[in-house]
Amino acid sequence: MAKVNLSGNEAAAQAALSSGAKLIVGYPGTPSSEVIGSIWGKKYDGVTIEWSTNEKVAFEEAAACAWAGQRSIVTMKMSGLNVAYDAFISVVYSGCTGGMVVYVADDPGVSAGMPEQDIRGFALMSDVPVLEPSSVLESYTFVQYAFELSEAIQGPVIVRTVSNVSQSHALIELPEAHPIEPRKPHFVNDPFKYTKAGAKICMDQHRDLIARLAAAQVKLHKDGMHKLSLGKKGGKGIVTVGVTSAFLDESLELIKAAGADVEGISTLQLAATLPEATEEFAAMLDNCESILVLEENEPHVEKAISLQAFHEGKNVEIIGKLNGPLSRIGNYTAATCATGMAALFGVEFKMDTAAADDAESHCAARPIGVCAGCPHRGVYMGLIDAVKKLGYKKDEVIITGDIGCTILGSCPPFDCLWTEVAMGASIAMAQGFTHAEWPTPVFATIGDSTFIHAGMPPLVNAVQNEVPITVVIMDNGWTSMTGMQVNPNTAEEFQYPGESRTRVDVVDIVKGLGVKQLWVVDPYDLPKMTDTIVEAAKLPGVKVIVSRRECAIQAGRRKIKYGLSVVDQEKCINCKRCINTTGCAAIVSDENGVHINPSQCNGCGICTYVCPVNAIEKKEV
Amino acid sequence: MANYNVYLVGVGGQGILTIADMIMRAAQALDVPANYYPTKGMAQRGGFVKAQLKLGAETVGPDIRPLGADLGIAMELSESLKSIRYIKPGGTLVVYGYKWQPTAVMLGKAPYPTREDVEKAAADAGLKLVFLDPADQPEDTADNIYLLAATMRHSGLGEVVSEEAITEAIKARWPKGAERNMRSFEAGLAVE
Repeated sequence: MAKVNLSGNEAAAQAALSSGAKLIVGYPGTPSSEVIGSIWGKKYDGVTIEWSTNEKVAFEEAAACAWAGQRSIVTMKMSGLNVAYDAFISVVYSGCTGGMVVYVADDPGVSAGMPEQDIRGFALMSDVPVLEPSSVLESYTFVQYAFELSEAIQGPVIVRTVSNVSQSHALIELPEAHPIEPRKPHFVNDPFKYTKAGAKICMDQHRDLIARLAAAQVKLHKDGMHKLSLGKKGGKGIVTVGVTSAFLDESLELIKAAGADVEGISTLQLAATLPEATEEFAAMLDNCESILVLEENEPHVEKAISLQAFHEGKNVEIIGKLNGPLSRIGNYTAATCATGMAALFGVEFKMDTAAADDAESHCAARPIGVCAGCPHRGVYMGLIDAVKKLGYKKDEVIITGDIGCTILGSCPPFDCLWTEVAMGASIAMAQGFTHAEWPTPVFATIGDSTFIHAGMPPLVNAVQNEVPITVVIMDNGWTSMTGMQVNPNTAEEFQYPGESRTRVDVVDIVKGLGVKQLWVVDPYDLPKMTDTIVEAAKLPGVKVIVSRRECAIQAGRRKIKYGLSVVDQEKCINCKRCINTTGCAAIVSDENGVHINPSQCNGCGICTYVCPVNAIEKKEV
Repeated sequence: MANYNVYLVGVGGQGILTIADMIMRAAQALDVPANYYPTKGMAQRGGFVKAQLKLGAETVGPDIRPLGADLGIAMELSESLKSIRYIKPGGTLVVYGYKWQPTAVMLGKAPYPTREDVEKAAADAGLKLVFLDPADQPEDTADNIYLLAATMRHSGLGEVVSEEAITEAIKARWPKGAERNMRSFEAGLAVE
């Protein structure tokens, strides 16, 4: 059979479909978005595919579907599990009947700008198996196995992937599908299992939870999921988990070249950090005098095997991060693994990259920025202008930021957002600063999807308590930063193709939450945006400005141009104020002066408002 | 087959990931084991983009270690310097010398490397540098296809995936643009 080219996330989606998942649901988040993204808009009989309002909602939907005996998978990035975790704990204590897979993507090395957290810690806290694929192929087979494991133990199973596995594309032979017969939903009203009504119920559920993890431990061992290869007695051993297993061959070659004798080495490639591979650990501890543990981020496996060595009275040296040269920070390459092996074998491993250090010192800094034509630009510039008009200095007025593209106002040339905490936090933080008696008006900025995800409760809080803040909801109609997914506020014509799904207008939501002072403004109209912010800031109580204009990237994909801005070279005095204030990539300054690249300009016209000599004109196209 | 690792860098919007995608499709047609890991970062356009291609190995970690690539392909002058760390001494670096200047550079507030900086860096790292001056590129040709073809001629990539498989992949991907793309490819192959 010809090989297919799939990413780890795409492989996970295909595995879910071929395993009979009834519900595939999640909230977008890099690096997990392509699981749903790759099958979005397609039709699969009897399967519901959905972007939920947030990860907690998605998780709860998937849990109930699995409680009804069906199979479900919920996808999210690491911080999504923080949001879902309240429900997660409750559900895993109850268990499930249908197979439930919680697919979470971590990001060691931080390619997508979120805290470098390791969600295996969540698995440890909730006694849930956490399978860790090391490759695209395993992204398929582990999701497939996770459904079977989940049904075998009657509890949810986490599949924890990482950026370089989930977003790698590889050529794989599609594994054989393990389909199931269609099931009728079956759910029994059983308060002992599905509620937390009383201490006995809760403690019984805790006991059952621990028993499920023990059952998973037996099954993983019986199914040979962990790959154990014992070498010379009294020799060296290496334990890998997740993507570090994939680096094993290459790093062994490196350390051999550095003079290490790797003959007779024992290796253990773990399929999971939890349940602990107790039997495999015992075999390694029995066979080796020293063991290197290779795992990215937190030393969970290292701790587990160290503790087991202690209890078994084995005087085996365990090398890793608690004891050894490896770091808890960043993602690993074969070179990192070889650094650990150098400690294991007592050889020197060094790479001379001095030339590269010197080369990189000449590199031009390339800060991330706002796209040409981005409607958010009008909000940042409007805020900066309004602060000035209100008689304040820029460094006196707190503007809180939120998650997604809207946080780009914290970058040059705007530098106007002060905080980035969590989904929806901008609105609550603005209230906290006000309660702290910050002496100027306080503003919050948030995107439409982020607002619907977690911004509604803090806005209700502000309305109830009459906290005088101004919230700008930057409504571009899409969940943009994660790759243009739909959200409830996305135009109806772009909701699920071929299915009836209703648009929930963010303006209606704000009205419904009791906000009386509400403006809807086009951010391309910079003077209007500025004046509205000034007006709002002077009023008491809660004010909301909905800045409404579609994401320039999405509009651009449908060839929408609003005009073309052109610099009149006769008038231009080459002051570059347009570049300094807008930071727009379409505006270029070179030996021919300042001009606008017509292939990049979408005619938003914001630059026409900032030219001191009116040298920029917006033309019809 | 020997392993062959390719480290690609550029700026979002230039088409650097498309180069990697074409190599990947050629590998697929030839049944060469391949792992392709793109990193787009957060910028939709104008941000640093890299991709790591590992060809020829069945079991392979996705990242290329420092000094682990046989070939570097860069689509932007300044960004080419970021690939040097990953290319092994004796390896090849093909640079398309387009300058995509960040705003601070345009405003004269920040420095930008010269072609000579790149040449010195490549020499210090012991690399064979192939430099394509955009000024020499024929009119109406696609930058990335031009660069890919020049790379096929001047590196060992052609021994891993054939020229024919690459051109077939390009034609299959853009049937309508085949004429211009093949012209771009021929122009790249002609680069001395």
